[in-house]
Amino acid sequence: MTALLEIRGARRRFATPEGGHIAALDGVDLDVGGNEFVTLLGPSGCGKTTLLRAISGFEQLDGGSVRLDGADLGALPPFRRPLNTVFQSYALFGHMTVARNVGYALEVRGVDRATYEREVGQALEKVGLSGMGARKPSQLSGGQRQRVALARAIVAKPRLLLLDEPLSALDRNLRQQMQLELKDLQHRLGIAFVFVTHDQEEALTMSDRVVLMRAGRIEQQGSPRDIYRRPRSRFVAEFIGETNLFSITVERIEGGLAVGRTAQGLALWLPAAGLRPGQSAVAALRPADFTLEDGDIAGQVSRSVYLGSDLHLFVRPNAGGPEIRVTARDRAGAPEVGTPVSLGYDPAAAHVLEEA
Amino acid sequence: MAAPRERIVLAVLLAPATLILGVFFLLPLLIVALFSVLMPGLYGGVEWAFYHWNYGRIFGWADGLMEIFEPIYLQILLRSLGFATLTVLLCLILCYPVAFWMSRLPERWRLLFLFLVTLPFFSSLIVRLYAWLLILRPSGLLNQGLLALGVVDAPLDILYTPAAVVLGMVYIMVPFMFLPLFAAVDNLDRSLVEASFDLGATRAQTFRKVILPQTLPGIVAGSVIVFIPSVGNFIVPDILGGAKGLMMGNLIEQQFLSARNWPFGSALAMVVMSVVLMVLLTMVARSRRVRG
Amino acid sequence: MQSRLGWAVLTIVAVLFFVFIYAPLLVIVVTSFNANPVNMLIWDGFTLDWYRGLLGLGERATDVSNRALYIESTDQLLAAVRNSLTVAAATTAISTVVGTATALALARHRFKGRGVYSGGLLLPMMMPDIVLGIGLLIFFVTIGMQLSLLTIIIGHCTFLISYVYLIVQARLAGLDPALEEASADLGASEWTTFRKVLLPQLAPGILGGALLAFVISMDDLVITYFIAGTGSTTLPVYIFGMIRRGVKPEINAIATMIILASILIAALGLWLRSRKTD
Repeated sequence: MTALLEIRGARRRFATPEGGHIAALDGVDLDVGGNEFVTLLGPSGCGKTTLLRAISGFEQLDGGSVRLDGADLGALPPFRRPLNTVFQSYALFGHMTVARNVGYALEVRGVDRATYEREVGQALEKVGLSGMGARKPSQLSGGQRQRVALARAIVAKPRLLLLDEPLSALDRNLRQQMQLELKDLQHRLGIAFVFVTHDQEEALTMSDRVVLMRAGRIEQQGSPRDIYRRPRSRFVAEFIGETNLFSITVERIEGGLAVGRTAQGLALWLPAAGLRPGQSAVAALRPADFTLEDGDIAGQVSRSVYLGSDLHLFVRPNAGGPEIRVTARDRAGAPEVGTPVSLGYDPAAAHVLEEA
Repeated sequence: MAAPRERIVLAVLLAPATLILGVFFLLPLLIVALFSVLMPGLYGGVEWAFYHWNYGRIFGWADGLMEIFEPIYLQILLRSLGFATLTVLLCLILCYPVAFWMSRLPERWRLLFLFLVTLPFFSSLIVRLYAWLLILRPSGLLNQGLLALGVVDAPLDILYTPAAVVLGMVYIMVPFMFLPLFAAVDNLDRSLVEASFDLGATRAQTFRKVILPQTLPGIVAGSVIVFIPSVGNFIVPDILGGAKGLMMGNLIEQQFLSARNWPFGSALAMVVMSVVLMVLLTMVARSRRVRG
Repeated sequence: MQSRLGWAVLTIVAVLFFVFIYAPLLVIVVTSFNANPVNMLIWDGFTLDWYRGLLGLGERATDVSNRALYIESTDQLLAAVRNSLTVAAATTAISTVVGTATALALARHRFKGRGVYSGGLLLPMMMPDIVLGIGLLIFFVTIGMQLSLLTIIIGHCTFLISYVYLIVQARLAGLDPALEEASADLGASEWTTFRKVLLPQLAPGILGGALLAFVISMDDLVITYFIAGTGSTTLPVYIFGMIRRGVKPEINAIATMIILASILIAALGLWLRSRKTD
């Protein structure tokens, strides 16, 4: 199956005020399938927005190509590209009613009245705003404006929808609700979504595939689970969720497991795959991977942070070295500061980074 | 980066303003500059010869043969600058407390009063000055009132004095001072004032160290906007000022419409223009420095 | 500042401030209905004679020669009003279109010297009007252009373009650039985007600029004074001439009508501004 969107070798440089150049896109290859939900994730300045704007046509590439359905989009101005965008600020036309906003793409194409009315009605229905058509955007709440922006972008039935941090202006509860609705809408429409965000939780919740970008390059891409469990590099491990990283030297291999030791002498059991004795590596363990008892990492609780259903503990290993972050259920008998613990974990949960 | 099409759009959009301002604004100013160093013709007009005595007459290097240096021109220049400065100060003193008062009003009232301040701007300048003529003249409202109350025995000669000129200028310039000043005062972050009090500053200290610096941009903007048209004003002194209220504007007007000495008038205009440009450049340089 | 006394003092200053602004205008209005033509403070009863006189219906003018004077001045007055309206209408149209185009060009395009250009656009506003007036006078005389309504229109445009530019530019700066991108994204060409999105969004700014241009043009005295030829006298220049010849009760009547008209225009402006588009 060929991809709906094919980006090859995308490059874009910007001049900096100091007279230098900064590469916003430094050779990006990306494929997006016909009904895939792809999230471009990364810290600000990583190039994710530039990539999105190169797809929509608001940014010209210095090199590389963008193809949709095999056709090169490079020469097309934004208004000739068969894809639509949901803007971060929503960019609703304040002088038009909700219905005219939604119908704008049809209006400028000059479709007949009956089709126009029908399609606008359907689009409003899809986002749950039926009956709101006569209002002005200024009379709507933040969440409703968000839906109008969505309806406006899908009314012309694009095969690809671009979303530029569309949920960043909403409060936490509404944002979580919209995340589920967006995923659901994408499923019902059966079109591809390319979603830009800097919020890793949002990316993990909604995406079929997360594309993590850093300094104009794709650092890693994969399913949310994959990218969370098997980060390729220190950057990915630290950007996606909380993690404990241990720099180790492999001592020996023992029946499918490797034993690594930190500089402070802390021993760790790891999956042996690909490791050789004497090799340096970085191992990652998520806070939730640990148990507080029956392990062989002895230490004591140095800080405890209450997070509702969970407790976040910082454990100082007796061997020395950085504190280990551990997530524990909040229940009676939860350890207090100073309590000695012995941390245990399933060696299969430990992940060795490809790149230190 | 700019596609040819975009260049064409840009050119089409900018052409009219460039043409109109180039031909009817820049060119006339250049011609004034040129005329200011040409010899006045015998019967109006000009001789096409370099002639620096136009400036010599004003600043004092006239030799007494070709042209005579008369200190009156320098006096009038200084008087104009003085009147304009006085106008700025009076407008400031008048507007600052009122701006403060208005910034404390509820939103609706604030908008209403703001409208009331700008309303006179929409009515004719000449009408507003005429009102003061009615009030100040010997048989006018003020003198009739003072006589009726027995404050004075004979009508005061207020009209055709420097005081009348400054009064008239303050009157027509007040909205121009008020708007930038009010914008600055209204934008003042009230928590800064509270923080200052909280940290133990007295009212006077708070005003000097917090409020004044915060509203300074508004004060500067208002002062410049008032000062510039005041320096070259000739309508106010024409209507309300006598011989003692003569300003640069009147001098220039006389050279063009009665004395018909265009080069000398141009030189006077160049002096006014230089003052204005100096004020503007100082302000631009200052705002650059503040912004860093 | 927080104390009651401080507030009371401020309020008194504010009241005096508004008295200072409005009392003179009130004096004109009241005087214009006073039958006493000499002593304006002594109320001789209500009269509309001065208004009648202006409109050529003067009953007070008993002798023939005096009546002729009224009629002549009425014709001149009406001609001046007509001239003012012609100039203001033409100036408003030209400066609104040109000022808006300039603001669009500078807001949406980057080019070398843009900063200098936009700074230079403000010069005509800051230039003392007498300098601009004599500059235009010398210029028109030098190129041999007859002083007429056309020269006045040109003269007004030179500085009113800047005013319109400034107001439209402020509105443009406050506009979300994503609006235009959204329009393009939804398939509208640049021209369609301009027509359907940009222009309606800018309308309040453009209207405000036009209104300001109209008011300033109607009121301009100094520049017009220098470049108005015979027969192209505008209302402010006409009144200026009348005032120079001495105080007459008819001036009160004209002034009152101007004040009334200006309040109407200001109210119109306020109404336009209060109609929010977003």
